[in-house]
Amino acid sequence: MLSVDFEKRLAGFHLRPRFAADDELVVLLGPSGSGKSLTLRAIAGLLRPDSGRIELPAGPVFDAALGLDLPPQARNVGYVVQDLALFPHLTVAENIAFGLYAWPREAQRERVAELVELLGLQGLEARLPSAISGGQQQRVALGRALAARPRVLLLDEPFNAVDAPIRNALRREVARLRRQLGLVAVFVTHDLQEAYALADQIAVYDEGAVLQSGPRDAVFRRPASVRVAQLLDARNIVEGRVVGRTEAFIELETPWFRGRARPDADPSAGSGQTLATGATAALSIRPEHVILLRRDRPHANDLDTTLDVELVDELATGNNHRLFLRVVGPGGPTDCVLEADVSAHPYQVMGVASRRDWRVALTLDETVAIPVAGD
Amino acid sequence: MSERRERPSAGVDATRVFAPLALLFVAFVAVPLVALGWRAVESGELAANLTSDLVLDAMRLSAVTSTIALALAILFGTPLAYLLARRDFPGKAVVDLIVDLPIVLPPTVAGVALLVAFGRRGVLGGRLDDLGLDVAFTTAAVVLAQLFVSAPYYIRTVKAGFEGVSPAYEGVAATLGASPLRIFRRVILPLSWPSVLAGAILCWARALSELGATLVFAGNFPGRTQTMPLAIIGVFDAGRPLDVAIALGVILVLAAAVLLVLLRLAARSATRPSF
Repeated sequence: MLSVDFEKRLAGFHLRPRFAADDELVVLLGPSGSGKSLTLRAIAGLLRPDSGRIELPAGPVFDAALGLDLPPQARNVGYVVQDLALFPHLTVAENIAFGLYAWPREAQRERVAELVELLGLQGLEARLPSAISGGQQQRVALGRALAARPRVLLLDEPFNAVDAPIRNALRREVARLRRQLGLVAVFVTHDLQEAYALADQIAVYDEGAVLQSGPRDAVFRRPASVRVAQLLDARNIVEGRVVGRTEAFIELETPWFRGRARPDADPSAGSGQTLATGATAALSIRPEHVILLRRDRPHANDLDTTLDVELVDELATGNNHRLFLRVVGPGGPTDCVLEADVSAHPYQVMGVASRRDWRVALTLDETVAIPVAGD
Repeated sequence: MSERRERPSAGVDATRVFAPLALLFVAFVAVPLVALGWRAVESGELAANLTSDLVLDAMRLSAVTSTIALALAILFGTPLAYLLARRDFPGKAVVDLIVDLPIVLPPTVAGVALLVAFGRRGVLGGRLDDLGLDVAFTTAAVVLAQLFVSAPYYIRTVKAGFEGVSPAYEGVAATLGASPLRIFRRVILPLSWPSVLAGAILCWARALSELGATLVFAGNFPGRTQTMPLAIIGVFDAGRPLDVAIALGVILVLAAAVLLVLLRLAARSATRPSF
């Protein structure tokens, strides 16, 4: 069990994170400057909160009410900082062994050999950090953090400095190591893909606070607010008003069209808000769930919202084409532009580039109604 | 350093204008130094002068006092430099100013100030006298005068070195269980080592060449307070042959040159990426 709930006032910044997680990998996701790294520093014992409580699996490490504040040396956390901070004057082996100085020499040697093997650093033991590659440096930083067998691993955007292929490999490795060693890991990133790929749980940060936290899919599928949906890059967020509810869907009226959202999308359990008829709410769907159709072909699922659109712009991202589609209403083109992702193959087969008029289906199961605050 | 520099074309090259001025200045500095060496050799009595009691005493005293001053600067200056580099505390700006002031102060003023503080009739001197400690005009006074004027060079340089070590290292080291002192010894010190070395060399060089403060606070007594720079003054005061002063000068020039080379080496090791 990891639980973080504290406040810290800094010059021009009010940090007040709050989340809890079981023995798994928690991703702190949010824009840079939203307080994710400071939260890690507080967990590690390098930033002292003004009030609140931090509990690690082995027990509380900070509790303002009890006057408890364990020093970093006593918290038994492995901490990989953003620029790694490998000791440049020490070899790979010496870096890994840094936290083991109290161990008997023979045990140190064995533990270093074990980690070198685990991380695939054989043959580099005597090198200085400046003489190994970026990916290898990441592994050394991991090894150094894991050496003294911490229960908690804190990772602050550790893979920023390496190329994409190595980054993917390292991500998988972190996930594997975490499971293998039974660690709680807190992973800070502003990269949505990285967050999605790694997270068991996600805490979405904005301006010092956690806006929403919970299991990854719950957060991605049920953003609690428009801001969370924006931070999760949902792209299509259209404000409107609830005009009807059935067992099967919530119906929303937006200035441009009438759409249906999944009924379980109501996150009232968490926020206490309900989406009664007349409530202001936003309809949101990620671009990958917007299905492109030809206007002359019928669509099977009649609960999906179907809209006539015209293609106004597109952006190729390699595997994908991001299409910008203007909704066409009965009175002609509107101001509402939706984004849809089409993979390279259907893009070719459908001849997207050669045609302007399309229809989209907003998959009901992936369309959520988000309560709009201040209503 | 070793990479070949492209020679700029005539249109952007001011060498023709600048070179004569630059050469003139180099000559201005080099000619007296060469003259000193030449006169020392020409007199044919360099060896005799170097082994005279006056010169040997001055050399011994200089070596001892400047080394002790350096040791004291390291002992007290290192913690101070660390605090100035790493912590914010009330009055930090004032402390910073006090530390730097002796660099810009005329050394004779430093001497007077030391005398007023630690002299027999000084502010603290009376108490020291009661304890049987008479500092002024002793070898200890030489050390204090040197420490006063030379320690700022050490503190400034080392402080900059400490500031250059990312605090991230300390944070990580702390989570790895290292105590603050272990962090300092195993991380901060090795990473700022070139600055510590450079600071020590600068400090020692300044202590070795210290004259004004020593003269005022310690006097010019052969064997007791007469370091090499003071011995040179003594030669003139006593109307002795210039050759003794020249011999002392040669030693000081050589010492300064050696220290400068060491300083360059220290600076270079700082820019080497592996350290």
